[in-house]
Amino acid sequence: MIEALEFEFMRNALLAGLFASLICGIIGTFIVVNRLVFLTGGIAHATYGGIGIALFFGIPYILGTLGFALIAAMIMTAVLLKAKSRADTFIGVIWAVGMATGIILLDLTSGYNVNIMSYLFGSILAVSTSDIWWMAGLSIITITAAIFFYRDLLAISYDDEFARLRGVPVNLIYFLFICLIAVSIVMIVRVVGLILVIALFTIPPYIAEKYSNSLAMMMVMATLLAVLFNLSGLWLAYTYNLTSGATIILVAATGFFISMAIDFIFLNKTAS
Amino acid sequence: MRSDKNMTRPVIEISHLSFSYNGSTALNDVTLSIYEKEFVAVIGPNGGGKTTLIKLMLGLLKPDSGDIRIFSKPPKTVSHRIGYVPQDVAINKSFPISVIDIVLMGRLRLHPWTRVSKKDKIAARNALDCLEMLEFQNQKIDDLSGGQRERVFIARALATDPDILILDEPTANIDSHGKSHLYGILKELNKTKTIIVVSHDTMVLSSYITSVVCVNNNVHYHDDAEITDEMMDMSYQCPVELIAHGIPHRILKTHKDK
Repeated sequence: MIEALEFEFMRNALLAGLFASLICGIIGTFIVVNRLVFLTGGIAHATYGGIGIALFFGIPYILGTLGFALIAAMIMTAVLLKAKSRADTFIGVIWAVGMATGIILLDLTSGYNVNIMSYLFGSILAVSTSDIWWMAGLSIITITAAIFFYRDLLAISYDDEFARLRGVPVNLIYFLFICLIAVSIVMIVRVVGLILVIALFTIPPYIAEKYSNSLAMMMVMATLLAVLFNLSGLWLAYTYNLTSGATIILVAATGFFISMAIDFIFLNKTAS
Repeated sequence: MRSDKNMTRPVIEISHLSFSYNGSTALNDVTLSIYEKEFVAVIGPNGGGKTTLIKLMLGLLKPDSGDIRIFSKPPKTVSHRIGYVPQDVAINKSFPISVIDIVLMGRLRLHPWTRVSKKDKIAARNALDCLEMLEFQNQKIDDLSGGQRERVFIARALATDPDILILDEPTANIDSHGKSHLYGILKELNKTKTIIVVSHDTMVLSSYITSVVCVNNNVHYHDDAEITDEMMDMSYQCPVELIAHGIPHRILKTHKDK
């Protein structure tokens, strides 16, 4: 692994893994405690429409996906705030429409030669230097937002009605963080692909939640777990020549089942 | 400005207020005044509109018609002066949050800066101390009992430094010993604050309250602490035999403080 770092693509992959872990740790925590996993999956899949638009119109990939993800996120947030009981249906529809749009636009794009598999399953080994800068920028924004809005975030996630009574602009902050989710998805898709992105956002925070006494601790622990999963997945993928995104997710899933097994044994012991 | 309050002006004034959910009437033509330092029990059948009435007072819901004034102002502009203890906070069971972090929510937006100040921490600890919960400040909320959790949420409401304290069924998960303890604390708080409590514990409450509001789509206000057969019937929607002797049927103690 050390000698592999002589290659630029390996150094980029390593940095992408670290930034992705940080973003997943913080944004993933917000997703898990607010039960926004389905919404995240919806945005992730809808971004396929953005890939289609980018290739069809020949605009940069990042603009197409970012634009599409943000529009999908705004519609979903509006539905979530206005008609919560119907939110899952709307998210499901946007999820499917986004993917269908992407597929049709790719059909209509003559002679595209982009490896579409890399969007679906990610390719951390093909992350470019400009992608790294995007991820670094997003990491800084995410950390700043999490620190600045920490108390508001805590109140909104735990008891939004009380937060409203205290005069916290609940809808605005909610909206801001869902937009951050959308931007994060676009970035993380480079690493693990849009089909698997949901696992990286949910598994580390889910494990961290059980051992945390505060939201901040959960964010830090989720970040560290994501680093562990990303780097060991990357190492396995490199060593055995496997698809990096899927390897990272399977490592995370192994962590998930180990934590469940530990709980099971521990609970059995305390019960007897 | 606390000095400008006086006993003659009601803190809560509701006139001809109606509210419905998707066409089904929850509250119809409600007129009600609550004065400073009253201890009001809100009773009534489930689905009768008790929580709806509370949420209207807090400005969380908008009335279809009629007017509601808190300190002579629209509820939304003064909701920060009301300490609210909601009915069932523990929806999010596994949420990683400590007792002190919950109470610190009560200090949100008391200043423009979004971070917690030293003053906020002191106020939060004082509120916890007031409810004898200070020793639990760093514990996870999930590790506490129902009664302890309830006291944490009252502490959160107190940390807002409110003039009115509204509690929606605070004793639903508490045993009878815990109930009397809790009402004892509320009675102490009533020396400086107006208290409104939604509850089914009419028996336990009787020795603390100054007035009763019966809510069953309509609202009836009784400005003494006596809970009558009629009110009990309305509350449970079936005749309730009160354990009482003598005429008039008095099941409740008179107010010794009055």
